[in-house]
Amino acid sequence: MTATLESVRALRTNRRRRSTRFAMVTGGLAAAVATLFAVTMMVGSFRLSAGEVITSVLHLADNPGVDFVVRELRLPTAVSGLAVGLALGASGTIFQQLLRNPLASPDFVGITSGAGLAAVTGIVVLQAGGLVITGFALGGAVVAATLMYVLAWRDGVTGYRFILIGIGVAVFFDGLTGYVLTRAQLFEARQAMHWLTGSVGQASGPELRLLLGALVVLLPLAVVLQRALRALELGDDTARALGSRTELSRAGLLATAVALIALAVGVAGPIIFVALVAGPIANRLLGPATGGIVPAALAGAALLLGADLVAEHLLPTPLPTGVVTGAVGAPYLLWLLATTNRQGTGG
Amino acid sequence: MTRLSAEKLTLGYDDRTVVADLDVTVLEGKVTAIVGANACGKSTLLRGLARLLRPREGTVYLDGRRMAELSTLDVAKVLGLLPQTPVAPGGITVADLVSRGRYPHQGWFRRWTDADDDAVARALDATGTAELIDRPLRQLSGGQRQRVWVAMALAQDTDLLLLDEPTTYLDINHQVELLRLLRKLNAESGRTIVIVMHDLNLACRYCDHIIAMADGSIVAEGAPVDVVTAELIEKVFGLACVVVSDPVAGTPIIVPA
Repeated sequence: MTATLESVRALRTNRRRRSTRFAMVTGGLAAAVATLFAVTMMVGSFRLSAGEVITSVLHLADNPGVDFVVRELRLPTAVSGLAVGLALGASGTIFQQLLRNPLASPDFVGITSGAGLAAVTGIVVLQAGGLVITGFALGGAVVAATLMYVLAWRDGVTGYRFILIGIGVAVFFDGLTGYVLTRAQLFEARQAMHWLTGSVGQASGPELRLLLGALVVLLPLAVVLQRALRALELGDDTARALGSRTELSRAGLLATAVALIALAVGVAGPIIFVALVAGPIANRLLGPATGGIVPAALAGAALLLGADLVAEHLLPTPLPTGVVTGAVGAPYLLWLLATTNRQGTGG
Repeated sequence: MTRLSAEKLTLGYDDRTVVADLDVTVLEGKVTAIVGANACGKSTLLRGLARLLRPREGTVYLDGRRMAELSTLDVAKVLGLLPQTPVAPGGITVADLVSRGRYPHQGWFRRWTDADDDAVARALDATGTAELIDRPLRQLSGGQRQRVWVAMALAQDTDLLLLDEPTTYLDINHQVELLRLLRKLNAESGRTIVIVMHDLNLACRYCDHIIAMADGSIVAEGAPVDVVTAELIEKVFGLACVVVSDPVAGTPIIVPA
């Protein structure tokens, strides 16, 4: 039996169209991220032009005043927004695809709450800051993920069981976080509350460098693992029938996603909703080329940089980034809850 | 000559044994139906044969070698399986889904080749789904969707193809259409096909060989005309019936008494 020429040709056209769409969406998102990244460094009490920002960042010209504002004050915030957004977007879409459910982002299945509890405990009990907080967040996220795996993942997953257990775990961790806060002194409690709201501006050098280093390793790893993800998306039985080593690739993907979300939380606190919406936004843009991790990561970065611009500059008083993402994300979540069941795609 | 067989196979979930001490040989180049009452272990046996379920005891052999010793990727190049209720991600298109059947033939860094295009196009042509490639899977009718899933399993390009209740949610016309398609694939490419199914009359009509199971063991096997009798149906399904001859094909038809 040979294939008809017509079918082969139609198939090639279809694939070319999908890869063109993928390239265009990825390129468009990258351009949007680059623009927002530059704008973040241009606006503020001291306005700069795009040219001034770019030449200063690239060390093309010497202008001590501009260099101080750009390199010392604004670049760390912009880089932090970019890195945290990339990590949140990639981590969120991996979770959603792995669990085959748009609700299954790490901030809803308890991973972020676990990281938050550990970090707040660190702030309140040990008066810790910087890298120690990142370490605590990573530990908390790993514990939460392991707990979920043990509780919900015995014979493969059904989407809703994982999510219901995840919501339970999240509430449990949030309750404990509340308890830890009541035991805190006023100063630590204030610090912890501020951290819990989430803000890209609070990043300091070492943990940001750690996140950047991790992104350089983990994003390419996620792209490589995408192949396994495409098989796993079809269900465990089909994936294994296709020759995928399901447990191994799932563990690898989960570890990557947990590390990304934990390091992002360590840098900027638990900024909510970005991980939830980045993947679906990217998929909406991608259409038939659905499921890319890189576009989702870029969508996350664009969202976070945009939210930070709104939080810092468009509102009458500057607010933490997490307030803006929460205000935009909550209506989306309600819409998602209202529509997923009706379409029967919830799990 | 056989490529897939099992010896003293015991399969189960948690602490429940479903299939016990079973010997089975899949006939090369034939279409085999596994039939039996609900919960008799027929799907479990299929999952065991497709290494989706690790045997408690006993061994599955593929091409004369113990399946447990083969890499899952090597097995996937020879043996394909369509599960009972396959799941697909939300917006996936037909072309994307069927192309994923090429997974075992691609490495981590190997790019898509002409051979992949050819295999996918053949699968689309064989199942009559070539004109659907741009459509999202969720917009298709049940019959179309099932043909697309079969196309994905065909794109895997394996000599052995196992299907778990592929006709269950289809109407009579689509059931017949799908079984004719499988017969055609068997006739044209000599593929060995094993189908778990419920409809005995259709199994008798479209399969060369029938394996009847009850309580986790094989009760009878052979060509439909030889093994399907009123006594067997009574024994396997607990249904009193009369077996008559199909006026078109001469195969057995079960009529409740």
